[in-house]
Amino acid sequence: MYIIGENIHIISPRVKDALQAKDARFFQGRAVAQVEAGAQALDLNLGPRKKDWEEIFPWMVETIEAVADVPLSFDSTNIMGIEAGLKKVTKAQPIINSTSAEPERLEKVPLLAKKYNTRLIALTMGASGIPVAADARVTIAIEKLIPRMLEIDFPISDLIIDPLVLTVSGCQEYCPELIETIRTLQVAWNPPPAISVGLSNVSNSVPQENRSLVNRTYCAMLMGVGLNTMIGDPLDTKLKDTIRIIEQRDDSTPVGRLYLKIYDRIAAMETPVIDDVDINDPDQAAIWKTVQILLNKVIYADAYLQLA
Amino acid sequence: MPVEIPKDTWSGSVCTVTLGATTAAGGTRSHTVTVGGHKTLPFMHFEQPMAHRPVIALEIRDRRPDDWSPLLLEVWGNAVDDPASWANAGEKAGADLLVLSLSLTGADGHPTTPEAAVAAVKAVLKASGLPLLVFAPGQADLDNQLLVPVAEATKGERLVLGICEDKNYRTIVATAMANGHLISTRTPMDVNLAKQLNILVRDMGIPADRILMDPTTGALGYGIEYGYSVMERLRLAALQGDGNTQSPMIVTPGAEAWKAKEAKVGQDVPAAWGDWRERAITWETLTAVALIESGADIVVLRHPESLRRVRVASDDLMAVPETI
Repeated sequence: MYIIGENIHIISPRVKDALQAKDARFFQGRAVAQVEAGAQALDLNLGPRKKDWEEIFPWMVETIEAVADVPLSFDSTNIMGIEAGLKKVTKAQPIINSTSAEPERLEKVPLLAKKYNTRLIALTMGASGIPVAADARVTIAIEKLIPRMLEIDFPISDLIIDPLVLTVSGCQEYCPELIETIRTLQVAWNPPPAISVGLSNVSNSVPQENRSLVNRTYCAMLMGVGLNTMIGDPLDTKLKDTIRIIEQRDDSTPVGRLYLKIYDRIAAMETPVIDDVDINDPDQAAIWKTVQILLNKVIYADAYLQLA
Repeated sequence: MPVEIPKDTWSGSVCTVTLGATTAAGGTRSHTVTVGGHKTLPFMHFEQPMAHRPVIALEIRDRRPDDWSPLLLEVWGNAVDDPASWANAGEKAGADLLVLSLSLTGADGHPTTPEAAVAAVKAVLKASGLPLLVFAPGQADLDNQLLVPVAEATKGERLVLGICEDKNYRTIVATAMANGHLISTRTPMDVNLAKQLNILVRDMGIPADRILMDPTTGALGYGIEYGYSVMERLRLAALQGDGNTQSPMIVTPGAEAWKAKEAKVGQDVPAAWGDWRERAITWETLTAVALIESGADIVVLRHPESLRRVRVASDDLMAVPETI
């Protein structure tokens, strides 16, 4: 699993404060911690920085590149800010996160990616928002996103499609559809484009104590349809252990066997069934309940784990 | 060519809840009313008979309301000054149930006292044999101050106490359990929140056959389609076996419809809107009937003519041979 570390994100109050104070050591600390934990790229979500983009984006690149060699992912809607940052990059091929299929962004952002030889994350989202159905999202990719890349001769090998994870707490119907979106995208074009998702979005507004469980269970399901790149939390050791279990097919523990079973079921276009689970094992029961909400079989509630 | 009508079968069902207790069962009601028990979607008589028909509750107040439409005050006349007379009039108008809404303040402007609340509830129970729901004003501290003595003074009546919301349910649930009553929960038009609150109240140990849930709705033209979808989804989940969505649903189309401009306002509206009274009653009726079709087990109304029309519509929907 190629993890783009998500922990430099403006939504975090500490990141916000550090940005205000231009606290280079804070950002260097976060960057190093993520890379040491296995992040192979770093997402930088600094917000639009409407007033100080000219200063902040290059400053952040210099700050991070002083301690890390991995690709930087510019996660912003401010195209001028992204360009200011790209000009400063001296190390790995950067990533722009993101364009969508909205006409204005699809016009401009790929040209910027081409000019600076970056990889480009493209969201399956059009002017009318994010469709629920898997085939509608695939259609955006093959009728809007990929044709635009071909039109400007942008290498498809540098394109990363993001079919958009939405939260199980409120957008539950999207969760199973995303699984099928990822499955279909891989046969929708030859050669297939790379695919990445923002995994942690699936647990937005889920109580903190359950977020990792929701994230790693969904991760196992998405790996079943071939997900091998994501923006996620490299410091979440339980998430990383789940990834390891699946990648190494480590069936030495009951929970590991359950994750592998879920992975195999999803890969085979089957639905995990209760017989796959030892429901008397609380860890397995929790994973099973999480699968049920992620497949939209049972309505999500914050206390869903409490239910029999 | 013969056409075979496809039939759904479901693994789950809606809980059966009985409101009110007769003398034999420790209360004073002339009869009880039972709702829920459904094994399929509403009015799919060819799949399963409706276990219990939807019922109509009429909302009355403990004193003359300050903010009700003149159309409502006019039709109930002097009864609005006396909850016992109002209860009587409501029963005569054909209500299955009465909802007594306690006011935030008395006519003197001071907060409603527990003594006044208990007196109003007792007067209503004496005047009418219908099962009763008592809804507090909706301010946590005051609600608890009023509902606890009401619950204690009416022990065993199987009243429905409301309204339990996520910020204030513990005291109401506890007093309902201690005194043999039921509760009604309310969440703001969201399946996840409706289910969450059901989990929380049941976590306190109140049995499922003592819970009604109000998923909240909007009036016709004011979000009814959103409320409808939430109710439909909750009901589908209930039938699929999700135990925390299986409470019978109560909604308040009367309160919602009479807030809508179309019902509320008689002056300075386009002439094409037609007769005010007819429009207002139509608004309340259509809001209620749509919600019955989405799975409401109890609709709470305000106008006797709406009540009559909703009854006609639900009789039609219940007429089995007509529906296929």
